[in-house]
Order: sequence, then structure tokens, then C-alpha cells
Amino acid sequence: MRARAALLTTAVLLAGCAGGTPADSAGPPTVAPAASTPSSVGSAGSFSPTDIAWLQLTAAMTDRLLPVLDLVPTRTTDPAWRRLAADVRASNRSDLTRSCQLLREAGAPTTNPHEGHDMPGMITTDELTALRSATGTTFHRLLAAHLRAYLTQTVRVATAEQKNGVHPATTTLATTVIRSNTTHQQNLNNLSPTPTSPTPPR
Amino acid sequence: MDRAAPLSHVPRRLRLATAIGALLTLLGTYLVSTTDRADAAPVANVIRVAEFPADCTYSHRLPDDPIVFPGLPGASHMHSFFGSTVTNGNTTLPDLVKSTSTCNPAVDVSSYWVPTLYRDNVAVEPAIATFYYLGEGVRADVVANTQPIPQGLRLVAGNAKATGPNDSIARWSCLHAGQVPPSKDFVTCPAGTMLESYLDFPQCWNGRDLDSPDHKSHLAYPVNQACPSTHPVHVPKLRQVLRYPVNGDPSHFRLASGPGYTMHGDFFNAWPTAEMARRVQDCIRPVIKCGHDGRPI
Repeated sequence: MRARAALLTTAVLLAGCAGGTPADSAGPPTVAPAASTPSSVGSAGSFSPTDIAWLQLTAAMTDRLLPVLDLVPTRTTDPAWRRLAADVRASNRSDLTRSCQLLREAGAPTTNPHEGHDMPGMITTDELTALRSATGTTFHRLLAAHLRAYLTQTVRVATAEQKNGVHPATTTLATTVIRSNTTHQQNLNNLSPTPTSPTPPR
Repeated sequence: MDRAAPLSHVPRRLRLATAIGALLTLLGTYLVSTTDRADAAPVANVIRVAEFPADCTYSHRLPDDPIVFPGLPGASHMHSFFGSTVTNGNTTLPDLVKSTSTCNPAVDVSSYWVPTLYRDNVAVEPAIATFYYLGEGVRADVVANTQPIPQGLRLVAGNAKATGPNDSIARWSCLHAGQVPPSKDFVTCPAGTMLESYLDFPQCWNGRDLDSPDHKSHLAYPVNQACPSTHPVHVPKLRQVLRYPVNGDPSHFRLASGPGYTMHGDFFNAWPTAEMARRVQDCIRPVIKCGHDGRPI
């Protein structure tokens, strides 16, 4: 029951960038940016369609991943899986916040026509339902498949953004995503070396 | 967003002249079709359809979308491409203009793409994709004032993220089985028939933008048989018709974007400007059914 309530709360709080503030307030408290962080008000340069499409996709993909990660503490007691999920959540949550900031700065819609349906690296509603009722090794296997699909896809598109994007703060975010999600991929491989069955084509 | 070269404001006198010209053309067409009707009875008036087609075979598949995810190859679900043979995630107008095409007519180097259809997780491609350019759904005087679709226009129609039939404009039916009622989701087509998908693109342009942030709102659908004041320029209506060589139980089918009602189409116009303009003048404005060569049938 508690788990369900927690899930519901998360679902309400995490609507991508929609509304902006509720999702942000669930994250780390707003603090003055560290010296190395580009100023959040008006970073230099203009946004290209590639930058905006990538930010929108990153927000949409992360939004779909978080409910998966939220399931982990309720479905497994294995500390290694719990730690991995917490690590993935922390960095991706922070990347989502940054993506939303940049989208607002660009004045771009926080949705796109291809968001919210079956996309590579995004868990479907049916898959999420299956994951909710799985336990033990089945849960670990399904979780590994979804995490692997997500991490692979986010690294792939962030690499394209790094190459083809133009807005400096946005390509910097792409570099951050590549670095952290590649590390998560390695940790996932250590935990679950067997390649899981391929997900159906999308 | 890219902007089109501004349309010069058409002086009122010229507009009147165009309207009179269109009336005369309509009258002329009427006479022509009445003559035709003399020996060809009920189907003769089919010639009085404002239409020119491009029939395109399947070209290739990629998880790319140069309209929604420009510069981000691999970002999309799987798409099946028709028309230009080169389209990928990095494609721009100059790439299309110098490419070859799977279309008849070959001068249409536009790119058209749709989510791939799967039967039991195996991709199925349409036997043929027809892209009709039509002057319909608006008053005759609006048709007579149709403008060419600007080269470089990018447009998405349909709702890829539809959550049910109610927020979808998809239409599925069966070729050679008219008794099966059309539906916004997949239908069960009898053995020996083909599953068909129809999708109409909007035909009222804002006269300014070649694309928009949602890739849709620079065009609008007509209201009360006319273009709304926000989107005053009437262009040919693109109707996408796909014929898939499958039938039977639709539970085996899905699109790369999800259920049948998520069907959508992406269009990147690369028709040579003169070829598009000639067809609009010779086929759409005078309401004449043209063939692949853009000449009256």
C-alpha cells in the first residue's frame, strides 16, 4: 500500500517538464550554481532544431524511466540492484532538471510529436505492468533489459547531439549524459553480464 | 524556424481577375466533361476531380526522422521511407533535391515516411504508397485559388501519441472489401484483400513557415469549407494511401509507434518548384484529374 502511494505520488510529481516547478521541487533544493556550472539564466548561444529535439527527447525518455527505477526498492532487496537504480536515478534526474531548464530558456515546447508513445529505449505501458508484478530473478532480468535499452539509446542520441548540436550548454549536457550513462552501463554489465533477449523492434 | 520566401500581397484587382479566370476555367471544364460524358456514362465525371498523384514504392527503413529529430540519427522508432532514396536523420532539402526517387513521377524527390507496420514482429511494407494531391474539402472558389506547396515544407499529420481512437484521424479499411467498415484502428480484412491506411494532411498554410515547433501548427485543416484567417493560403491536400499485403486477425499487427490509431505521416516537400506549380495550375485550380505526368487523364 505504502509502495503504491509512493508510486502514485511520483507519477503525479513527474510529468516531464510540464509545469516545471513541481518536478523541480522534488529534486535537489535549488542552490546557487557552482562555479563550474554555466549560469542557468541565459546561457550563451542559440538553440538549433537538433538541440531542441534532443532536449525534448531526453526529457521524455527520462520521464518514462523514473517509474521503472521507483519500482526497484519495492521489488528487490538486493543491495547491488538498489544501489545501481539509485545511481541511475540521481544522475538522470539531474539531467532531466537541466533539460527542462534549457527548454524553458529556449522557449521551446516541452513535448514533441513523437513523445509519449513507443520509442526505442522507452518502456511501454504493458512492459511496466509486467515489471510491477515481477519478483526475484525475473524482475532483475526485465529490469536489466529495460535499463540496458534506455542507457544504450540515451548514449546513442547524446552522441549525435554532441556531434550535431550547436548550443554550448546543451552539448555540454550531452557530454555529461554520455559520461554518466556509460558508467551506469558498465555497472549494469558487471551486475548482469548476460545479454537479455532483444526487445521487439520499434 | 525556416520561413518561406514571402508571398507578395496579391492586389485586389488581380484577385478578381483570378476569380473570373477560375470561373471561366470551371465553365470550360464543365463543357469538356459534358462532352466526355456523352459516351462514357456514369464514371465520366471522375475527370472533374482536382487531383495529381505520386505513386511511390518502399525505399528503405531507418529509426530516423529528419523533421522531428533532425541531426539525431537513431532517435526515432522505425520508419519506412518512400520517395527520395537518401533520407536519414541528417537530411536537409539540398540532399533531397539532388537525390533519386522511388516515385512515379521520378521528378517527385520529396520524402514521405510512416511508422513501420509489423506482423508478429516482422516488418511488412506497403505494396504501393500513393500520395494524392487534391483540391477538395473547401469551396470551389478556394480550390480555384490553390497555391503550390512551398519547396522545403515539413509537415507531420496524424497523432503518433494517440491513446485511443478518439484522438486519432487514422483510417483503416480493406482494398476490394468495401463491406468492412473503416475504423481508426486495424480492421480484419478478408482473405485475398489488402489492409489499407488513409491519412489526410492539412491544406491551409500560414503562408510563412516551412516548419513549426510541433511540426504541425504552420498548417491547419479547413473550417466551414474555407481556410481560417490564421492559415489563409490554400495548398493541395495531401492524402496518403498505403496498401499493405496483409489481412486477417489484426491482433498480429502493430505499428512502430503503437496501435493502429497511432498511424501518422511525415512529409518533406522537395518537388521541383516548377513541376508543383504546373500541376497546381493545370490540375487543381481547374479541377481536372491528372496522371503521373501532371497532364489531364
